[in-house]
Amino acid sequence: MLWVLFKESLLFAWQSLIANKLRSFLSLLGITIGIFAIILVFTIVDGLESNIRGSIQSLGNNVVYIQKWPWDFGPDYPWWKYINRPVPQYYELDELQKRCKSTEAIAYRMGKRRTLKYKSNSIQNAVVAGISHDFYKIKSFDLTAGRYFTQNETDAGYHLALIGASIAEGLFPNEDPIGKEIKISGHKALVIGVIKKEGESLLGVSFDYQVITPFNFARFFLDPKSENADPIIYAKAKPNVSNAEMMAELTGILRGIRKLKPMGEPNFALNETSLISKGFDSLFDIIGTAGWIIGGFSILVGGFGIANIMFVSVKERTNLIGIQKSLGAKNFFILVQFLGESVMLSTIGGFFGLLVTYIITILGKDAIDMDISLTGTNIILGFTISILIGIISGFIPAYSASQLDPVEAIRSN
Amino acid sequence: MIRPKIITFICIVGYLSVVFTFPQVFSPQIKKLGVLMPAIYGILVAANFIACVGLWYFKQWGVQLYLISVFAKTLFYLLANQMGFGFYFNIIASLIFIIILLRFYPKMNPNL
Repeated sequence: MLWVLFKESLLFAWQSLIANKLRSFLSLLGITIGIFAIILVFTIVDGLESNIRGSIQSLGNNVVYIQKWPWDFGPDYPWWKYINRPVPQYYELDELQKRCKSTEAIAYRMGKRRTLKYKSNSIQNAVVAGISHDFYKIKSFDLTAGRYFTQNETDAGYHLALIGASIAEGLFPNEDPIGKEIKISGHKALVIGVIKKEGESLLGVSFDYQVITPFNFARFFLDPKSENADPIIYAKAKPNVSNAEMMAELTGILRGIRKLKPMGEPNFALNETSLISKGFDSLFDIIGTAGWIIGGFSILVGGFGIANIMFVSVKERTNLIGIQKSLGAKNFFILVQFLGESVMLSTIGGFFGLLVTYIITILGKDAIDMDISLTGTNIILGFTISILIGIISGFIPAYSASQLDPVEAIRSN
Repeated sequence: MIRPKIITFICIVGYLSVVFTFPQVFSPQIKKLGVLMPAIYGILVAANFIACVGLWYFKQWGVQLYLISVFAKTLFYLLANQMGFGFYFNIIASLIFIIILLRFYPKMNPNL
């Protein structure tokens, strides 16, 4: 009985929406814009966050970067304390590999932008890196063709190169790059592997635009003592060793290698990816809160619009309410009828808001080549807000309608 | 019976609290608690609002719904481990309001 009553009230509500198409459209427009604004902001923030967190993850959670400059994002960066520090050297890698017990792998990398050539094709400003052999144990990447360097090839500095997917597309548009000789700043290098395409990364760490060569070959065109080559020693902790434990051991060994006094300031920085994560946490909180405030106000305005329309609707149909009540309609029937109308309006508005957001994410994905998609969480959130705003803005008009005296209601104009 | 001024005051406080707590439904803090948390919190906010409408019309179901919504909201904050100053302030204010509402309960309209 209750269900029949409920169904019938919703049918009445639907008929009323259909009867006043323009008014219904205008009132649901407010909710559409509100839901669109808030869900779009959440979707963009979620997309950016997952992309950046993915990039940070690819740097390695259990990897420590031994560098000259510490990662710090504050406004008062004391650069003068670090400017005279030496950059990490290749011989330090050998010492660390011999002495360090807590690391699974230690590798060296330096890199700078150089021009690449193959026949008449050339690519300018490609990142060319010189690495030690264990680099593959630190940075995971897949090869679509070819192979990685052997230990002998890296130690002896063979003129070999692994190239990124975009470099391969640029230099070898219609050829297989494997076995071809490219020129890196005038030095010939044999391509032995192509790295699988990774796509855009907001942190700029993608291998797509990189060429990897053995360190002893890269010394011909990169200066390892120069800061411009950005030399880094990577240390990856063993599975059951914490970063803190590994860093304590690395600090002791490095102080010994660099002959620092026991109480002296260290002249190196041990950087962790968690430092980048922390830097981004506050940024995402700010963006999320800004989106929440902007969207919140839009939703609130939309809610007032629906409440206004519902009051007008009740006023307009007072006679009808009187007739329905005099024919035996219960208060509950009238309440559900108007509440259903308001919830329907806002849900349809919310649906269109989500639809517009979805279309924009599809268009945006192609335009900016980044994975931004409307998640299930945001869809649930969008519908929750729509239904909620429908209940809150429609309840007072619906309840006041249900409380009308049938005789007074029929008499009213 | 005409609605007493103290009930009007409680209703106005309730409406204002709905205006301020409604945006929390989609706040990043609530979103972080879980996928369904915004929906659950939203139902509680809506229940609180409907209870205030019931109180405004001096109906007994308003008091009943108010009690349920206060209890559920407290449980939500406890389960979500969100117990700041606002949580304790809310509990004290709600308890005072409940005592006042129960005093007027027998005089209220028992119908929908």
